[in-house]
Amino acid sequence: MTTRRRSALRPGLLTILGFVGPAIVLIVVLRLMPFGQAISSSLYFAPFGPLGSVEFIGLANYVDLFTIPEFQQTILRTLLFAVVINPLQIGLALLVALLVRQRIYGKAFWRLLVFIPTTIPLVGASIAAGIALRSDGPINALLGLVGIGSQPFLTSPDQALWSIIAIASWVGIGYWMVFLVAGLDDIGGDVYEAAKIDGAGTLRQFFSITLPLLKRPLLFVLVADTVVNFALFVPMQVLTGGGPESSTTLLMYDIYRQTYQYSNPNMGAAETVILTALMLTIVAIQFRLMKEKN
Amino acid sequence: MLRSRSQVRILWTLLAAAVGLVFILPAAWMFLGAFRPGNAVIDAVTPLSWNTFWPDVWTLDNFVQMLGPLDFGRALINSLIVVVVSVIVGVAVSALAAYGFSVVEFRGREIVFGLVVVGFLIPFESIAVPLAQIFNDAGLNNTYIGLILPGIGSGLAIFYLRQHFLGIPASIREAALIDGAGEFSILRRMYLPLSTPALANAALIIFLSQWMAYLWPLLIAPDPALQVAPIALSKTFTLQTSNFGQNFAGALMISLIPAIIMFVLQMFSKQSIAEAADK
Repeated sequence: MTTRRRSALRPGLLTILGFVGPAIVLIVVLRLMPFGQAISSSLYFAPFGPLGSVEFIGLANYVDLFTIPEFQQTILRTLLFAVVINPLQIGLALLVALLVRQRIYGKAFWRLLVFIPTTIPLVGASIAAGIALRSDGPINALLGLVGIGSQPFLTSPDQALWSIIAIASWVGIGYWMVFLVAGLDDIGGDVYEAAKIDGAGTLRQFFSITLPLLKRPLLFVLVADTVVNFALFVPMQVLTGGGPESSTTLLMYDIYRQTYQYSNPNMGAAETVILTALMLTIVAIQFRLMKEKN
Repeated sequence: MLRSRSQVRILWTLLAAAVGLVFILPAAWMFLGAFRPGNAVIDAVTPLSWNTFWPDVWTLDNFVQMLGPLDFGRALINSLIVVVVSVIVGVAVSALAAYGFSVVEFRGREIVFGLVVVGFLIPFESIAVPLAQIFNDAGLNNTYIGLILPGIGSGLAIFYLRQHFLGIPASIREAALIDGAGEFSILRRMYLPLSTPALANAALIIFLSQWMAYLWPLLIAPDPALQVAPIALSKTFTLQTSNFGQNFAGALMISLIPAIIMFVLQMFSKQSIAEAADK
């Protein structure tokens, strides 16, 4: 009786494959194979032209990535960009989330206004921002109104990357805000009541109650945002082409350019491996930090 | 000198309104620009006035141009085909895998699931370029299958559904098994009906990632006949021209369609919950 029941509960191999087989095939084809392909391709050099033969060069592409100034700068710029844009977006998203949870009139409406831009796909947002930031566009007209001269924005090596940060934040902050508002809602009001009775001020409450209790959602949005921003591609492709003067060339865009425009897919593959390793490190750190809590 | 509670409330409200306006004004400017003659978008900037923001002449010409001669309608249909097939197949694959990894017991399950987790931790964009080369070699470039395949393998949808299935009591399944039901019919007849909102969310995850995809279609489907909406939109745009009404019309269309579908889906899922509550 027991054995019959056990065998009824234990499905056959075909049934198991029927359930998890498609997902396993997809994971192998869509993630592991291309990653493996990038690793192996990064160890070769294929000279341009039909006569060239593929040559094994070991880690030479990686040595180039870390020693040739242009590549060095691309990696450095990508890291700097990540260090600036992620805390900036999540910090602002948190401030907005706190603001729209205050006792204010029309809470849901202001929240909706911040959220609406996130429904615009990045292509649309980039195009709109590209037009708005033109020298004869409305942003410069507004700056003129308050006495600031016309700014070059996307056409200046000093301002282009900041303009892209602004565009990505405009459509990004409302999205991360939603997760943070949900996290804040999960913190019970009674914790604050207790703190008030103990005489804790607003700032004190924020640092000793809100932040610690918001750790998990905060960590989640920070890591998810980091992955999104490492992969940021559309504004560079649509608006700047990585310029002016390479000022908006980040790893993701350079992978595309090396592979498809400079016909150097092996270098693109080495960059792919570096970028993937960067993202995996970030995700791994997140898992570590989240496990600590449990 | 303590200010009254309602004064504080008004101050915070004003601040929230200011923040809301910063976010909404560029979007509103873009959406309104879709309804004005193309050259008016920039021409109305100088002199700066109410008219810069609010059209004085309203027209649907941008939409007519986009959907007619510029063939944006075809791109929208391509996008819809890719999204609909991705959602249907993707949700099916994810539900099967989620059931397999949460309910069905087999040896080595945790190891296989660990492999799937590690695999999906690699963000799609980071390996999109080598994947496109693999797809090219396999002859999947410029095909709907090439566009759709990456959308149906969604780690997030699998994890999400698995988490939901783990919350359904195992006794339901055991009773059904003893009654002679197969695993597939248990999934179909018991787990899926109990998971409508979770399935809707999984569908949404797949829907949005495919609808907004840009890099992948750019790499895998350069054929104009297969262009999806975001690619077609970027093709109509150059910084040098000054007729931007059409760009805005295109951007408005690709922004509104997911919003409308989400709204309909939401009504749908609320309805099904209400129906379930009736029974």
